[in-house]
Amino acid sequence: MLKTAISILALLYCTLCHSQCDSINDSSTRHFNLKFSYNSSLIYPGISTGIEFPLNYVNVHVFKNQKLIRCFKKGRFISGNLNWYHHPDFHDNLYLTAEWVMRRTRYTGFMSEFSIGPGFSRTFLGGTTYKVDDIGNISVIKLAGYNYALITIGGGFGYDFSMKKKLPFSALAKMNLISMFPYNSTIYFRPVLELGIRYTPGRSQIKYIRNPLQYQNNNERSISL
Amino acid sequence: MREVFLFSLLLLFPGCQKEKITISDNTSEVFYVENAGASMRVQVQGNTASNTFILVIHGGPGVSSYFYDTKYISQNLGDKYAMVYWDQRNAGASQGASNGENLHLDQMVKDLKKVIEVLKFRYGQDMSLFLLGHSFGGLIAADFITTPGYQNMIKGLINIDGSHNYPLNDTLTREALLTEGIYQVSQKRNVDEWQPIINYCNTHQGNFSLEESQQLEKYATEAENYIDSIKHINIVTQVLKYTITDKYPLTAILSNLLYSEDSNFNKELAVAQFSSSLNIVTIPVLVLWGKYDFTCPLALGEDFYNRVNSTDKSMLISFKSGHNMILQDEKFFCDKVNEFVMKHR
Repeated sequence: MLKTAISILALLYCTLCHSQCDSINDSSTRHFNLKFSYNSSLIYPGISTGIEFPLNYVNVHVFKNQKLIRCFKKGRFISGNLNWYHHPDFHDNLYLTAEWVMRRTRYTGFMSEFSIGPGFSRTFLGGTTYKVDDIGNISVIKLAGYNYALITIGGGFGYDFSMKKKLPFSALAKMNLISMFPYNSTIYFRPVLELGIRYTPGRSQIKYIRNPLQYQNNNERSISL
Repeated sequence: MREVFLFSLLLLFPGCQKEKITISDNTSEVFYVENAGASMRVQVQGNTASNTFILVIHGGPGVSSYFYDTKYISQNLGDKYAMVYWDQRNAGASQGASNGENLHLDQMVKDLKKVIEVLKFRYGQDMSLFLLGHSFGGLIAADFITTPGYQNMIKGLINIDGSHNYPLNDTLTREALLTEGIYQVSQKRNVDEWQPIINYCNTHQGNFSLEESQQLEKYATEAENYIDSIKHINIVTQVLKYTITDKYPLTAILSNLLYSEDSNFNKELAVAQFSSSLNIVTIPVLVLWGKYDFTCPLALGEDFYNRVNSTDKSMLISFKSGHNMILQDEKFFCDKVNEFVMKHR
């Protein structure tokens, strides 16, 4: 379990290293997003916080008969999240995830995303936990619970307020399925609904290219149908 | 990172695991007993002030005690006694990591002993404790009370459609299906449904393999649907009714059930039997059975009843129940359990 935790932390730490970044990158690729959301496991409450860094993005313009019919932004991100939910009498689950995120944002602001990644979970049982030794002595186990490896996969949609209103945040609704193992020698699945906001410090300064014919760089891609 | 993690723990979790012991006529609390890689959930509901506890040993293996905690039982037994719902290892809301190698009947009996010790530690050594075993829970109960010295830990045993002898169980299930099937066909009731069951029983006559045993159990469950005089229970409706109010961890219950159903543990169970040692049982025993129980047929209950050496024993039959009398004939179940506990507490 310690190895799993170290691997996750190492993965997260890599995203903070800028020493090998391309120095001529567009400055907008270096912005990070902060996420804060209600992390409901169906009816049970929880919180999720996270930070995500863009790996790359591309503005896609789709033309038909030389007429622009659709344009959107495709981005790839890596994120680190600290999540918690509380299921009364069952357990509290504190879990750390490192996710690879694919996001597509239309110029209307509507966005959809998919994410997948590994994680580490620590549960805390939902009641006093006793241990009885072979001669009948009873003791209470402090902070009783289990460590699990975890994989999360999820998808959702939201609205990016920076596209139309130049506000540096977006709203998101996302359904994740977390699987924890080895849980009683099997796998434990749990659906988790995230409702929250994502804040991008300095996002309002980013210029979005409205007319793709005026500007094209490495982050631009045109498709003709 | 470590500091953040520890700070989060300090803020969030000590409150959840604070020891809470309530003596009242309306208790509802949960604790866990950790043993051999499993943390087993124990829920205490009802009148702890009565100092009388009924510990429910659920069926399965792998089913949960959540399904036994109904509103009717709360109102008709929980008002007088404390109902104790224990989720066995790898079942219900019980938790653990890689613990499948400990899934054995003997281990479950050790678990049960420790659950009883913790119950007495929490609520008083002088409590009146009764075991109530249903279906597979009857096998654990039979193993427990035939372990030398263990029956002294309880005041009495209530056996509800429980199996104390799996090989005999299979033989009697086949006989019951065949007898009832032939009768139903003669009455021209559900002929198309009964015929494959009769054919299967005719072609599989004994020395059952695990697969045959599981097929007989499937037919036994199915056959209840073809008896008009019993109350039919829709398990899905039942689960949905209590999922939110009782805070079911549904996916955990399902994962545990699928694992237990498919584990090697079932091979061990296929040959488990306690008929030969039941004669050491002398505590009061109540045997309650559903007339149309094909999963654990009535003759199995009679075998249990005849073999225990208790001077105070009784066997009663519900004529509108199959294997799940607790849900199918709630009034009969609660009334009879109430009379028995009241007499022997």
